[in-house]
Amino acid sequence: MTGVWCIPTALALLSLLGLAAAILGDGVWHWICWAGLSIPLLVCAAKLWRQWPRAMA
Amino acid sequence: MTPASLRGWRLVHRWTSLICSVNLLILCVTGLILVFHHEIQHLMGEELDTTRTEGQAHLPLQSLVDIARKTDPALVPKLFSVDPDDAGGNYIYLGAPGLRDFEDGRWVVLNTQTGANQVLKPPEETLTGFLLKLHVDLFTGFPGQMFVGVMGILFVVSTVSGLVVYGPFMKKLAFGLLRFGRGPRIANIDLHNLFGVATLTWAFVVGLTGAILSFSPLIVSYWQNTELVAMAARHTEPMSGTPISIDQAAQAGQAAFPGKDLAFIAYPGNNYSSDRHFSVMVRGHTELTKRLLSVALVDAETGTVVETADTPWYMTVLLLSGPFHFGDYGGLPLQILWALFTIVTGVVTVTGFIAWVKRPRSRTAGAEERAVAASKEGSKA
Repeated sequence: MTGVWCIPTALALLSLLGLAAAILGDGVWHWICWAGLSIPLLVCAAKLWRQWPRAMA
Repeated sequence: MTPASLRGWRLVHRWTSLICSVNLLILCVTGLILVFHHEIQHLMGEELDTTRTEGQAHLPLQSLVDIARKTDPALVPKLFSVDPDDAGGNYIYLGAPGLRDFEDGRWVVLNTQTGANQVLKPPEETLTGFLLKLHVDLFTGFPGQMFVGVMGILFVVSTVSGLVVYGPFMKKLAFGLLRFGRGPRIANIDLHNLFGVATLTWAFVVGLTGAILSFSPLIVSYWQNTELVAMAARHTEPMSGTPISIDQAAQAGQAAFPGKDLAFIAYPGNNYSSDRHFSVMVRGHTELTKRLLSVALVDAETGTVVETADTPWYMTVLLLSGPFHFGDYGGLPLQILWALFTIVTGVVTVTGFIAWVKRPRSRTAGAEERAVAASKEGSKA
């Protein structure tokens, strides 16, 4: 796998795990779901935060 | 990938995205609010009275049906449904006698312990009902629902084609690079790529399940006209005696599937049953199995179960599409995450549209190659 696909693949797998987890059970499964689905959003937020043009803000 | 096939995928991505973009934005806005429909109904006092006291027995089903019938004695019961997430509420559908379909009837909601009843308001009279109708069929009924389903398929194709064109475009760019200093078009493309690829799996799943749910009238109708009709056709004896009560039908149906809960019961003489049989649908207990139905055909005269079956694969797919589209299976944190994903999907749609509006006006292949070259050059900057 080339470098282009490493992070997107990891995010896709985390999303799939997150989507599936909460339907498989309660308790820890819900936490896995929340964590798995939070990471893609956190990556977006982190990238946006770090590269936002501060001088223009 | 050859330049010609890449150009083809770009065209597919561009046009599938553009065609569904307006509808997608409507779905994002309405869906964003509908994720919290329980909370909104609670705030607006539209919540149904399904409170129950632990240890207190529920009323016999026949008593609940009798209470429901008093709301409109001209109508007869057609369906009795149990809310899987709220044991305190039963839903009874009343319709005109002699009709097999579910036109022009009404739902009555009853508290299982007190029998307190409420007629469900028409969707247009509640905020969440209004938004749901807009979300599902754009207030145009069946044709609108099919239109939304086609838009859902276009969106799914758009996500797949977007993934295909992402690879070559990002070949020389770091993941998540946002070039805000390179003008609005480049900035929007970068935002589109980052947000799009990061949330692609969620968008694909929600888009696909949404399309499946949009086609649910066709899927359910196919099930009724094939499997259920075939089941009923194997038992064609005419009805001659007094029908059993709905409690007896429920008991017989549940006995055929030990350990399962009642989901709904279709009275004899409608699209979910035969003229002589109740269809008793049951479901499991877990988050997964409570979405899956099994059916027992119960003779309305003798009270015996004449046949049992699980739902076919396409109905299972339809039933499982619900949670993966609504995001209602993991508590409030999942609802919040669902809302955030919906917002990001809206941003992906808008940034993609802006990038298209601000595209270079030359449509030649050479111009496209120059655009890719510019992105590569940007990576060195």
